[in-house]
Amino acid sequence: MKIEVLFPEMCNLFGDSSNMKYLQQCLPQAEFVYTPFDSEPAFVTEEVALVYIGAMTERAQQKIADKLQPYQARICQLIDGQKTIFLATGNACEVFFDYMENEDGTRDQGLGIFAGFYAKRDLFHRYNGLVWGTFEDMDIIGFKTQFTMAYGDNENCAFMPVNRGIGLNKQSRLEGVRRGSFYGTYLVGPLLVLNPPFTRYLLGKMGVEQPQLAYPEVVEQAYQQRLAEFKDPKVQYE
Amino acid sequence: MKEKRTLRFIFALWVAKAMKLALKLLGRNGTYLPGNTAIRLCPNFLGQVGKPKTVIGVTGTNGKTTVSNLVGDVLEKSGYTPIGNRFGSNTNAGIATVLLDSCGLLGGSKKELAVLEIDERMAPKILPYVHLDYLVITNLFRDSYKRNAHVDFISSILQSNIAPDTKLILNGEDLVSNHLCPQNSRVYFGIAAGDAKSTSQGNIIHDILVCPQCGAKLQFEYIRYNHIGRAHCPNCDFGSPDLDYAVQDIDYQRHLLQIDTPSGRQTYRLVGDNITDIYNTVTAVALLSELGLSQQKITAAFDAMQIVKTRFEEDIVGDKRVVMMLAKGQNPIACSRVFDFVRHQPGKKAVVLLNYDYFDKQETSENIAWLFDTDFEFLDHPDINQVLCVGVRALDYQLRCLMAGIPADRAQACPQDERAADMLRLDEVDTVFILNDLYTYDVSVALQKKILEKLQKGVA
Repeated sequence: MKIEVLFPEMCNLFGDSSNMKYLQQCLPQAEFVYTPFDSEPAFVTEEVALVYIGAMTERAQQKIADKLQPYQARICQLIDGQKTIFLATGNACEVFFDYMENEDGTRDQGLGIFAGFYAKRDLFHRYNGLVWGTFEDMDIIGFKTQFTMAYGDNENCAFMPVNRGIGLNKQSRLEGVRRGSFYGTYLVGPLLVLNPPFTRYLLGKMGVEQPQLAYPEVVEQAYQQRLAEFKDPKVQYE
Repeated sequence: MKEKRTLRFIFALWVAKAMKLALKLLGRNGTYLPGNTAIRLCPNFLGQVGKPKTVIGVTGTNGKTTVSNLVGDVLEKSGYTPIGNRFGSNTNAGIATVLLDSCGLLGGSKKELAVLEIDERMAPKILPYVHLDYLVITNLFRDSYKRNAHVDFISSILQSNIAPDTKLILNGEDLVSNHLCPQNSRVYFGIAAGDAKSTSQGNIIHDILVCPQCGAKLQFEYIRYNHIGRAHCPNCDFGSPDLDYAVQDIDYQRHLLQIDTPSGRQTYRLVGDNITDIYNTVTAVALLSELGLSQQKITAAFDAMQIVKTRFEEDIVGDKRVVMMLAKGQNPIACSRVFDFVRHQPGKKAVVLLNYDYFDKQETSENIAWLFDTDFEFLDHPDINQVLCVGVRALDYQLRCLMAGIPADRAQACPQDERAADMLRLDEVDTVFILNDLYTYDVSVALQKKILEKLQKGVA
């Protein structure tokens, strides 16, 4: 099984690289390919079970979008055919939107894979918050830390509805985007470490029979403790 | 930069001065509130308040407090009377408090010199109003994700707020900060000596790996830690500059540094024995030399110094040490540097991690993503017998330790602060390191006291 991490030298902010480190410990037999920015992604020519891309700087977003532009059709083919899972965390999702708009109205073009979606940057206001949502029937918990708010109708293509916290923007109750086997969420950091049920789901989707997590007891205990905190009405989300 | 003083400013100044006096009478330092009130009453208060003739700013992710204090101490011992925010806030409110406290009733300043520690995130609220003659940037790394986002963001706000006539004192081995404001006059400091103790490989975070000009992968001659080192771009002219103040030799036994300066090779006392101490020392030497202080004056002042107490405290009972060190929470680089220091200490060790976010504990659930950018792998060392993860985030820390390869029998969770002393296996170790955050200091002191009591009972 091959797992590809895209541009780790640039897409590694906010602890996002921990997702693949954890996955590597869950799947010690899998082959992990770390594709640098100056190389062609493996998914273009090879069979890859999962492609991961993490959060990046705003300046890097345009470079990444330009880099992936030639493979836009290939990505659509892979996700619509559910052949390869794409997981994008933090502002990596925005690269797959139509565009990212700066404060002065100028735009950085995205890949347009999520047509009608865009992000607005506001470098003067950083949003930090907690999110508790429900993916399928699983509780998902995590953190947002971002300069952007996203817009677009994700009623039928959200990553998950939120129970507390915000969705694509402060008015939205639907978090992230999903298309075929593409999962995009603004949650940053150790998403897979923090959410063992989702990690098991993802491993199942990748074709792993009877998925086993690394350090299952501690991961589960930490998840249950955090979930209880997130469900506590006294806990502040922003 | 010098703005005409308005009645609104005078009103704000008097209110703030009265507040400062009242707080003093109540026995409080009042290093934030008066300045904050002044800025609320007069938004461009910082622009109008009088400043000393020479103003020095010290900013950067790590080391700015120590460098500011070092510089302030040397200046005081050399006969100057600098004002500064040593005991206060490094925000715009803290700096306003320092300046209003030192000016007259009409807002004018008769002071000669200020040394201001400046929070890099606050640069847009300070630098447009307070003209800096010198600005030290110790380094730029990713810091609190909530406040600072990433280094690209911090670099951009510094770039757009540094005055063109400010002389920059820059870390020649930090490619993130040493290319800022290329038109400004500047000198570079750094470590040229290549010894094993000042070099640690295998860090998780590298905040600059590709050329910011052309995108090519940078070629590193060496990496001292994280992205600190020397590199050049194979495609364009981007690369590390030559050092003006270069540490050429480090004598850990005698605590001495040989530094090449524009005036020739000079010897200075090393205040501490950590790589960050070496950087702090050469940074201070570079700034003080640029200010015109002689080597003799700097040396005389260094000789009489200790490391800031809250960052390193040591107690010895019998043949065992209990060391308290600051390991700032939410700051992966600072913690990684401390972990690296701890693993290189002699003897068998236990490490107590007590740097969860105290304020988040009261109100919310801490974002623990920073743990995964921190080099817990450094704690996977045969001489570290126990890593005790204490507090509300104990399970998260324990999990991070396990992911770092630390065996389960060494990485333990202790969710209740007060139980930590009982869980420590004191008989197995020579030194206990308690690594605390700024705001878990009191909890750490309580733990330190319990450990010392247990050790004293054992000795008795």
